[in-house]
Amino acid sequence: MGKKVFISLFVLSLIMVMPIHAADFPTKEVQIIIPWAAGGATDLIFRALAATTGKYLGKAVVVVNKPGGAGAVGYTEAMKAQPDGYTLTSGITPLTILPHNVKTAFTYKDFEPVINVVSDPGMFLVRSDAPWKSLKDFLDYAKKNPDMITVGNSGAGGGVHLIALAFEKAAGVKFNHIPFTGGGPSVTALLGGHINAVSVSPPEGIEHVKAGKLKIIALFSEKRFEMFPDVPTVKEQGVDFAMGQWRGLIAPKGTPPDVIKKLHDAFKQGMDDPVFRKNAKDMAVNLHHLGPEAFGKLMASEHELFGKLIKEIKK
Amino acid sequence: MNRDEIAGGIVIFLFGMATALLSLGMPIGTFRMAGTGMFPLLLGILLMSLSCLFVFKLLYQGKKTIVKRDSVAMVSGPPVQLILFFGTMVLATAFFNQLGYPLTSFLLLLMLLRTLGMKRWTFNIFLSFMTAVVCYFLFVQWLKIPLPKGWIGI
Amino acid sequence: MFESLQHLINGFAIAATVQNLLYCLIGCIVGTIIGVLPGIGPIAGIALLIPATFSLNPTSAIIMLAGIYYGAMYGGSTTSILLNVPGETASVITCIDGYQMAQKGRAGPALATCAIGSFIAGTIGIFGLVFIAPPLAEAALAFGPPEYFSLMVFGFIVLSNVTGASLLKSLMMAVVGLIIGTIGIDPVTGDARFTFGSISLLSGIEFVAVAIGLFGIGEVLINVEKPSEMLEQKVLVPRLRELYPTLQDFKKSISPILRGAGIGFGVGLVPGPAPVIATYASYMIERKVSKHPEEFGKGAIEGVAGPESANNSACQSAFIPLFVLGIPFAPPTAILLGALLIHGVSPGPMLIGQHPQLFWGVIASMYIGNFILLILNLPFVPLFANILRIPKKVLLPLVILFCITGMYTVNNSVFDIWMMLLFGAMGFLMRKWAYEGAPLLLALVLGPKLEIAFRQSLMISHGDFGVFVNRPISMVFLLAMAIFLIFPAIRLMFKKSKKGGIKS
Repeated sequence: MGKKVFISLFVLSLIMVMPIHAADFPTKEVQIIIPWAAGGATDLIFRALAATTGKYLGKAVVVVNKPGGAGAVGYTEAMKAQPDGYTLTSGITPLTILPHNVKTAFTYKDFEPVINVVSDPGMFLVRSDAPWKSLKDFLDYAKKNPDMITVGNSGAGGGVHLIALAFEKAAGVKFNHIPFTGGGPSVTALLGGHINAVSVSPPEGIEHVKAGKLKIIALFSEKRFEMFPDVPTVKEQGVDFAMGQWRGLIAPKGTPPDVIKKLHDAFKQGMDDPVFRKNAKDMAVNLHHLGPEAFGKLMASEHELFGKLIKEIKK
Repeated sequence: MNRDEIAGGIVIFLFGMATALLSLGMPIGTFRMAGTGMFPLLLGILLMSLSCLFVFKLLYQGKKTIVKRDSVAMVSGPPVQLILFFGTMVLATAFFNQLGYPLTSFLLLLMLLRTLGMKRWTFNIFLSFMTAVVCYFLFVQWLKIPLPKGWIGI
Repeated sequence: MFESLQHLINGFAIAATVQNLLYCLIGCIVGTIIGVLPGIGPIAGIALLIPATFSLNPTSAIIMLAGIYYGAMYGGSTTSILLNVPGETASVITCIDGYQMAQKGRAGPALATCAIGSFIAGTIGIFGLVFIAPPLAEAALAFGPPEYFSLMVFGFIVLSNVTGASLLKSLMMAVVGLIIGTIGIDPVTGDARFTFGSISLLSGIEFVAVAIGLFGIGEVLINVEKPSEMLEQKVLVPRLRELYPTLQDFKKSISPILRGAGIGFGVGLVPGPAPVIATYASYMIERKVSKHPEEFGKGAIEGVAGPESANNSACQSAFIPLFVLGIPFAPPTAILLGALLIHGVSPGPMLIGQHPQLFWGVIASMYIGNFILLILNLPFVPLFANILRIPKKVLLPLVILFCITGMYTVNNSVFDIWMMLLFGAMGFLMRKWAYEGAPLLLALVLGPKLEIAFRQSLMISHGDFGVFVNRPISMVFLLAMAIFLIFPAIRLMFKKSKKGGIKS
């Protein structure tokens, strides 16, 4: 009964003519541009967050995908958007990587940090029926056959691609990197056996690992996964390497600070919402909240770090 | 009629050539690691070949070809009407942001109706006004679609 | 299999509760209104009603969202038929014969056939889902980059000449479409291409701008160029009897509908812009199979019945990869993914097992949605058809306003409107010189994906072109394409020698 009343009231309110006050934020839905294809890590996490934040913000939060160029297409569009708080984008590690690789129209400085949501390690997945049973098998094969193992990623020059490149250096091997338009397509290609391995970050591929179709052959974190306690990290197996990605929300430069505060507070509530927490747990993602200033500092230091790392790798 | 067709073919050829030339200015790479320019270059060359084939086929067949034409499209009236109509559309687009949606829609309809020969001003103004009002309420207020507000502020 | 049937019946029980029926109805109505406006597609509609779904349980929420999705599809066909304005990719083919039918006073039968055909296809689609879904989803995985490339090239070449006009001209338009598709950011490296420094062009040229421009605005301009007497005309005013399909119409449409449903279902499983490809493929096949191919392009009901059915069943089977693999292949299904996440339901291989009531409840409600739309739309057919009674000189300005409004709502960009006008001018010229717009649009949609698949394949194979022929599925498509291209040439030679034989 209550639900029916809610619905009728909602529809009724749409019919009524209401003047729009510019001072009240938000007066319409907020859009999050995800610069990757649907189904990837960033996409899934922010869709889940958008779902729970809507009620705290008072207006719907909608996710829009604009894939291409390892994030370049989506970020360029977000950068051009009006800094009125209605268009946000997912600020993730590739934002601080891309500008070092490719001449982009943007850097992290063209955006204002709003909130950081997760911090997850990178990992490599292979099919359960792959010939390599352990990391050692995998790396031995790679050493004997350089440039032969195909490793998919969510975009050339993007986060997981760089993690894969950095891992190559740390392990002393060479892979054949195949770019896709996002985590979703790259995992699909692995499932179909068209590539040998895929470089991802949770929750990409997690469902399939749970179902037994894929397995984690390399885990680039400091600690083991809560959900898969039997999977050792690469550090434990002798390769001193750990790298991950952070994912947060950013707004175009010039968005007023009070709007940013409203957004941050609403999204924080969305993060704390029990439904979101359950989703995050199911997806094996690691929640890591940071406010606007701390997030801004993180982006700045990552930008420096990757600048140096890329020069190292390119040597 | 064939001269039209040949002209069309040449225009397409030039477009293909422009594409190919512009792509040469971008990194081509190798097949193993294709660069940004490779695909457009291949397309440009393909288009040039197709249009050459097309033009030669026309020349070869000479007077024998009867080109199928759309009977509706071929009837032509005075071009003035078309130019005014299209011109009005261009103007409306140019001032869309400044004038704002309700005003632009009103003026656009008014001018277009006039261009097509509607001479009764009262009817024109009435229709344009009512339509603009309905559109405003439907799209801006009810569906909450962000359409530009002009200097009249709505 | 019987378990699935059992689940489906349970699903109907859930979907048919008064509450859920109400949500479905609201969704369908909103969806239809949104679909009628060119430019706004199902995505915006779903976005609008998401807040209302927060307080609902997941099944009801998705039922409403699915209703919007379908409603928008139905609405899109309406503007294609009446005004030659395609609201979204899948409506382009409907413009070709649907609009011609409307011009001849047969808008009513066209609209009704769309509704009925879609409904029948939906029914068939449901059976497909029940009986063959999971194994088919696995089959879709066998498509890797080389298979995609070959499939797309094949589909591309075959479907370029969808209307049967000059093959060469259609291919040229297709390549032009491919080139236009490269404008923007290179999908693999991220560098800008053909943008001449403009930030607006960095995102490429919006498909909707090209579609509405070439078809809608182009058509308007062609009409405007006529002497004023012609503009006084209204389209033939249909009598009441003529508003609905005749028995003959039914007889002609039933096979295309069945074929379309089958084609759409199969095509919908392959990741990518399936509904579009399904409509083109259905049109092509109907034209080849018909005893009167010359009627196509002038108002053949088969050209409307087949593609619309294909469209509907492709949308049905597009849900399969989402539910079975957990991977959405199209934006509307991505939104449904979001809705699932609202309630902690992560789609993936385990979804059907863990939440059968959700899965089958949604399937059942999709079907109910189809039914509701049929009932909603049929009575409105006379109303819509009567829109065409408006004399052209009043109708045309309204159409222009309609197009400009719709275009702006896609990206809030005046630049898009400029693009629409530019392509409107181009569409005008193309009509004058007998070039087809459909191949160009198909190329615009497929082009970027084609390029990605091409480059990925070569990266995997280290530059070896053999990768396209070494794999069986890929090889099959390439062979089919070769046969398709060479066949007309062989037939021509055969005919010439035959003629020579008789003369002597």
